[in-house]
Amino acid sequence: MQFTRRDFLKTAGLACGAAALPAWVLETEAAEAAAVDKQGLAELALKAAKQAGATYADIRINRYRNESIFSRERRIQRVSRSQTFGFGVRVLLKGAWGFASSYLVTPEAVRRITSQALDIARANALYQRKPIQMVSAPKVKASWRSAFKQDPFEVPSDRKIEFLLQINEAALKAKGASFVNSGLTFQNEQKFYASTDGSFIDQYIIRTLPSFTVTAVNRSAGDFQTRASLAGPKTIGYEYLEEYPWLKEAQQAGEEAVAKLQAKPVAPGKYDLVIHPSNLWLTIHESVGHSTELDRALLWEADYAGTSFLTPDKTGKLEFGSKICNFYADRTQPHGLATVGYDDEGVKSERWPLIKDGLFVDWQTTRDLAPLIGEKHSHGCLHADSWGSVPFPRMPNVSLQPGTQDVSLDDLVAGVDNGILIYGNGSWSIDQQRYNFQFGGQTFWEIKNGRVGAMLRDGAYQSRTTDFWHACDGLGGERTYELGGAANDGKGEPTQANAVSHGSPVARFRQINVLNTATKPQ
Amino acid sequence: MLLSESETKALCHQLLGYTKADDAEARVGSEDYSQLRFAANGFTTSGRRESAAASITVWIDKKQGSATASNLDAESLKAAVAQAEELAHLAPVDKEYVPTLGPQTYRPTGGYVEATCNLSLADRAKAIDEIIRACEKDGVIGAGFHQASGSAGGFATRNGNFHYDRESQASLSVTARLPDGSSSGYFLRNHFDIARLDTARIGREAIRKALESRNPRTLEPGTYPVILEAQAAGDLLRMGFDARSADEGRSAYSAPGGKTKVGEKIFDERINVYSDPWNAELPDSAVGPEGIPAERVYFVRNGVLERLRYSRYWANEKGQQPTPGPVNEIFESSASPVSLEAMIQSMDRGLLVSRFWYIRQVDPRTELFTGLTRDGVWLIEKGKIQYPVRNFRFNQSVLELLAPGNVDAVGASERISGSEGQGRGASLVPAIRVKAFHFTSASDAV
Repeated sequence: MQFTRRDFLKTAGLACGAAALPAWVLETEAAEAAAVDKQGLAELALKAAKQAGATYADIRINRYRNESIFSRERRIQRVSRSQTFGFGVRVLLKGAWGFASSYLVTPEAVRRITSQALDIARANALYQRKPIQMVSAPKVKASWRSAFKQDPFEVPSDRKIEFLLQINEAALKAKGASFVNSGLTFQNEQKFYASTDGSFIDQYIIRTLPSFTVTAVNRSAGDFQTRASLAGPKTIGYEYLEEYPWLKEAQQAGEEAVAKLQAKPVAPGKYDLVIHPSNLWLTIHESVGHSTELDRALLWEADYAGTSFLTPDKTGKLEFGSKICNFYADRTQPHGLATVGYDDEGVKSERWPLIKDGLFVDWQTTRDLAPLIGEKHSHGCLHADSWGSVPFPRMPNVSLQPGTQDVSLDDLVAGVDNGILIYGNGSWSIDQQRYNFQFGGQTFWEIKNGRVGAMLRDGAYQSRTTDFWHACDGLGGERTYELGGAANDGKGEPTQANAVSHGSPVARFRQINVLNTATKPQ
Repeated sequence: MLLSESETKALCHQLLGYTKADDAEARVGSEDYSQLRFAANGFTTSGRRESAAASITVWIDKKQGSATASNLDAESLKAAVAQAEELAHLAPVDKEYVPTLGPQTYRPTGGYVEATCNLSLADRAKAIDEIIRACEKDGVIGAGFHQASGSAGGFATRNGNFHYDRESQASLSVTARLPDGSSSGYFLRNHFDIARLDTARIGREAIRKALESRNPRTLEPGTYPVILEAQAAGDLLRMGFDARSADEGRSAYSAPGGKTKVGEKIFDERINVYSDPWNAELPDSAVGPEGIPAERVYFVRNGVLERLRYSRYWANEKGQQPTPGPVNEIFESSASPVSLEAMIQSMDRGLLVSRFWYIRQVDPRTELFTGLTRDGVWLIEKGKIQYPVRNFRFNQSVLELLAPGNVDAVGASERISGSEGQGRGASLVPAIRVKAFHFTSASDAV
């Protein structure tokens, strides 16, 4: 087992989650959880913060459990469970934020850590030029649970191991499929939040993250190609492994990886693209999701993630895309990875338009961002990826709404003379203001005279955000709508992971620049 | 509080004592971490975290299971061991199981400075305030991130091996932007010794780059000679050198006919790539992959791919020795280093690139990456910087970048932290001048 200095940090700071527990371990955990009087600890922290003059304070006492199984071909490489439990206290004192956290969840630690958070705020307040202000939020006492039928942490691990080995067998059925790597991860967040608003909120979230990649190798030519799974992670239970046709897709992936070795190289140029939701979700994420984050527009992320080509003065004025483009932010969508009952500062989750009939109309906001654009209400986008992380603005599920007509993928293809059909997300990159992007895919297919033809290889499309969405002239109907997403969207300093989904129908784009990314072999 | 060696050892042995598994490895780690962010010339968020965790991997009849405890008390450790054992009972036999190592001798390395872990909150706030004041004085808008951490931990195996190590790290990145959004500058440095982190210089360099990037002109994308500043080179150069994927035919180091490129001259003859845990500027762990004592290991020497990285299992399969590294990455010229000024003065026409951003692999066969320039690109003509230009997207193979015939000049190696890594981790990388670099489209981003 590799063990380096960086692993110390990982072990110490990033360990997260656990899994299907033997009964007596569950009892141990339950006892531990019961022994922690969360409300009592919260009152301790909040009272100390208020006495010190904090105008706002919150405490999050969270447990994160994780189970991961990784395999290749007919071998299980690693089966692991992890969990982390701790708390973080955030205070707003003299207009400056302070935050401190610990894995020791005791009254003594809560007193000490609250004091540290106050000290940090005091040290920073001396130099704070513009005091932080927050909009109010209603006092809430609530419990919330994400949508799932079967808690994966109650499913024995041997069933999960068997699932992965079946995936691998299916993928290797294709003659020429050389390797397959597959993985299953289950996440459980048990979050408790309390604030000086008088709110107390418990939340229980379950996510299921399957994935696989098949590799086909032509050893004599020194060439290889891969095909990764099209379906992505969701906030859903173990039923996801039984309801989606994973084995069928794995077999198809094996066949397509082999076919890619012999596929025709894409000729660079401009094409009409028909893009499947399994690819388009990532383009939505990067070009629409991140550009409509208000913290970016206000330069709060200038040092790392970047800013945005959108600015507050463009709200309600900028034509973001064609009239058929409607994007909604939604933290209530069933199975969305960013779906929660309440955000990490007690704001109830909601759904709101970002782009309406092509026009940019609204932002993603938090309680300290909203006042900066004259809003009195937060859209509830504050999130921290751990009890030890400072919560900050994170993306809700952002989705392209389907067309109002029952348009199919074939209908959209029928309107293309010379184009490409793209499935699955591949390589991705976008600039720090979200103008220029380049996306690969898993499979590219030639479209000629309204029909899908031969497979192509080595393609990627490159465009500019507003040019791309203005080029959108066709949307599939509700029946083509699918949810994609990622559990590890990185942002912030230090980087925090955010799980977020993006839904879309099949969509068509006119005259988009396509590259051939292979320098060799061609 | 970081765990001491005796505490770490006791916890590791406590974990091992709870299991009757045939083989096991226990790991314990602790970290104290703090940070301060600023943006729009004001403080934004600031925080501190103390954390510790323990984990165990067991093998029962060559079947593996791992679990991490959420706390260091006896009940949590016992629960983790029980979970790991339960998983091992459910798992199939691991055909690639290799027994954990017995006692090893690790030659100590540096890289831990107490002052880095114990920095004063007031001093940090003051230092950042001074940078913001400098930004205000020069009429730019500053943003940045200061972090400091200390970590300590160790591992022990059923077969009698144990090692404890400590590490410290501090970093600061600063971005300065003109209020009209027309230019931006950036500078990042990190060090294990906070006394070696020159915060004022980092602020000055970011401001200078922003001011010198004012009024950029548009240049057509295409293939240009370029000088990559050390930061840009450090952002782009990523080497895997994995033997197994090369042997399996699915790596840029695979060769036709089921061979690898070992022994081939893949880079310019001045280029050396190696790992050295005792490098004074870049000390790293004495523990190599899978617990093997780390050694100074060359992967590329004088441009020739000298070796690939073998795990203990794969080395056994292929009749090789497992590779005692890498633990860090050092790119170094075997010729006399050329200064950045000399590279500029002797360039007829080309571009100077400050850094890269959003770098993602596009084609693993050729180590082709896409990404963008950010925070400063300048046109050089007749040995002088003429004017700043707007950003580009690139699609560039790293193998092609360093290939014989493409490298013009190599500078002195500097401690560089990749800008997408935010200051955690570093490598030694030189500035490089190359004859051809492929910019494929223009970007409006600043």
